[in-house]
Amino acid sequence: MTCSSERRGVVGYTAVAFLTLGLSLPAQAADGSKSLAQADPTTAEEQGPPARELPPGGTSIEDLLLQKGTITMDEWIQIRAEQEYKAADQNRRLDSIEEWKAKTELLPMLRDKVNFGLNALQVQYGHVDAQVPEGKSQDSFSIRRSEIIFWGKLSEMIPRWHTLLEFQSTGLTNSTPDCSNSPGGNCANKPGGPPVSATFFREAYIDVRPVQSWAPTLNMIRLGIFRMPFGIFSETSGGLRDVISSPYLNAVGGGGGPGQNRNGTGGTIEFIQERDYFVDVRGRIANRLEYVAGITNNNNYQANSLVNNASGIGGANQPKALYTRVRWFASDVSFISFTTIQGESNNTGTLINGRGKGDFDRYGVDFRYTSKVFPGLMLQGEYWQGHDGANATTVGTPAQGSCADTAVCGGSGAPGMMRRTWYVLGKYLITRGPFENFEPTLMYEQFDPNTKMSNDLYTRTIVGLTYYFENFPPKIQSKIQFNYEFRHHSGLGTGPGTPAYDSATDPFAQNAFFVQFQVRFM
Amino acid sequence: MKTIVLGMVVIAGFLLGACASDSIFPPDATKGVDPDFDFTRWRMLPNQAEGKKVQLGGRIIDAATKGETVSIVVAQLPIVEHPAYGPKDTGKSRGEFAVVYRGRIDPSLLQRGNRLIVVGMTQSPNIFSVDDLPKSLPTVEAICVHVWKTGGREIGEFPFNAGGGYQPLVEETLCTRNS
Repeated sequence: MTCSSERRGVVGYTAVAFLTLGLSLPAQAADGSKSLAQADPTTAEEQGPPARELPPGGTSIEDLLLQKGTITMDEWIQIRAEQEYKAADQNRRLDSIEEWKAKTELLPMLRDKVNFGLNALQVQYGHVDAQVPEGKSQDSFSIRRSEIIFWGKLSEMIPRWHTLLEFQSTGLTNSTPDCSNSPGGNCANKPGGPPVSATFFREAYIDVRPVQSWAPTLNMIRLGIFRMPFGIFSETSGGLRDVISSPYLNAVGGGGGPGQNRNGTGGTIEFIQERDYFVDVRGRIANRLEYVAGITNNNNYQANSLVNNASGIGGANQPKALYTRVRWFASDVSFISFTTIQGESNNTGTLINGRGKGDFDRYGVDFRYTSKVFPGLMLQGEYWQGHDGANATTVGTPAQGSCADTAVCGGSGAPGMMRRTWYVLGKYLITRGPFENFEPTLMYEQFDPNTKMSNDLYTRTIVGLTYYFENFPPKIQSKIQFNYEFRHHSGLGTGPGTPAYDSATDPFAQNAFFVQFQVRFM
Repeated sequence: MKTIVLGMVVIAGFLLGACASDSIFPPDATKGVDPDFDFTRWRMLPNQAEGKKVQLGGRIIDAATKGETVSIVVAQLPIVEHPAYGPKDTGKSRGEFAVVYRGRIDPSLLQRGNRLIVVGMTQSPNIFSVDDLPKSLPTVEAICVHVWKTGGREIGEFPFNAGGGYQPLVEETLCTRNS
């Protein structure tokens, strides 16, 4: 039997401990070798046990072996010391684990205070039939989204904080400058607004639940930047959408197609912004009616950059619109909602496309039917209309006020217009058989940029097929999507001053095909 | 005018909310439920409380379907009214129990982590497999069960908090034919 010096130390300690405590040890081993007890005559005399006497409580194997003379006293002590050492070592390890456990239990990550995940990582291939200028291609291979999400629960009163970072693009957004000091008094000669905002910063909000007992009737106050509660699509995370392209109600036009015009039918139009700054109150009544009521700056999510942190002046970032939504649930997952946004819009110092200066309103109705009769079938739709103010602008282009003279005021010079859009989407998730986890999808949508003008309609039919590798929404969703889009754009309107229209170069008038592979995990 | 309309909507909502009932089971199913049922005592002495009608909530740990019988192992959780009605994980589960439901339940509702409330009669303990280990657990013969498909999250986190988007919470009440 080998023994380290440390262990020998323990042997000695054990023996001394036994003697000090007055525990009787066998005085002599079977082979006649002296025990530690014998080495100290006084102690041996005090204890005075006969050599062959049984050790106290001696029922262990080593005691029996010692009693029978199979092992010596030295060996007995060594065995006991070994056992003691092991017990001490085990205690030390347990203490270490307890200490580590106490520390790790306090880690924010393990207390739901900090979590992170992949909201959506999407690799996309796309082909658009539209003619493109030299140096550009109809085909593209890109990262559509690379969104990292962080969130946590601090307390019952602050049940959630949330940030989302978009890494797919570090491009800067230009602000829309005013037209003062334009060269020659012509706003069109004024350079575009300087870059002000990168797009890493997408979402950041805090939920406050002021009184627990008021929830869920008054569930929470949410403040920050997030997807606005404007219909279904706008509020659905990019990692959970059923088709690859964003719907026209979020954005249509531009992208190489015709620019803005006096009819208000061209250029990029962000009819319903996906994200914005807001403070709102949310709750659920009678387990059937959800409501949201709040105020927003109505200027898109990049607008944080317009605020001067030194002076506090916020550019065009003041709250400008009130919104409400009521959503009535027919079942736990089927509902109909009514939304309205009322306020005003600005065309200077703005970061949102296609809006002018003046009164602003939106009215929307949306529905979702998730069938329990045919599990896997889901239908949804939205209908929106609303008014945009005069002299709409594209982000970065100089504009000022509601003014028809674009030479002086920039912008489109459009007098303001009513816009309208709607879509219906249906999908069916196959849950058994050889096509299990496949999901055919069909969507049709229309966008009318100016309801008082004909020959300006955007239409699109999307035929899609999705295969889910993992489908546990909202947390996990890995899938590959194939979408073919039949796109049509009638033109830019009618009447004098309507610009010439070439559908061959308009990407919204030419069909497109997209494939997208997505991973979402949190 | 707009502010008045908004105010009226909110006030009407609160009034409706005040009249709301959180009943998720048919009245017949919950009739005779022992409101003072001591779960801890039942866990320790399961044979002394046989045949009592109880309502218990918890988090699904494991589930198995055999023919027309579903066995669900549940970690007991307190049923709260706020922030949302249902079992809430306060970190203080008082132990596990089993639910035996005579009927079929969609497997997606039986996912680990889903929240559940059961109304049923207590039975003597039975052996159930938890993580492939046999375990004797006090059992409730279900009359009705209500399942929230939360996937491990709290009921109060829905619909606005789930993963950065709007996600309605799927829930379902199932009752046996004899109920």
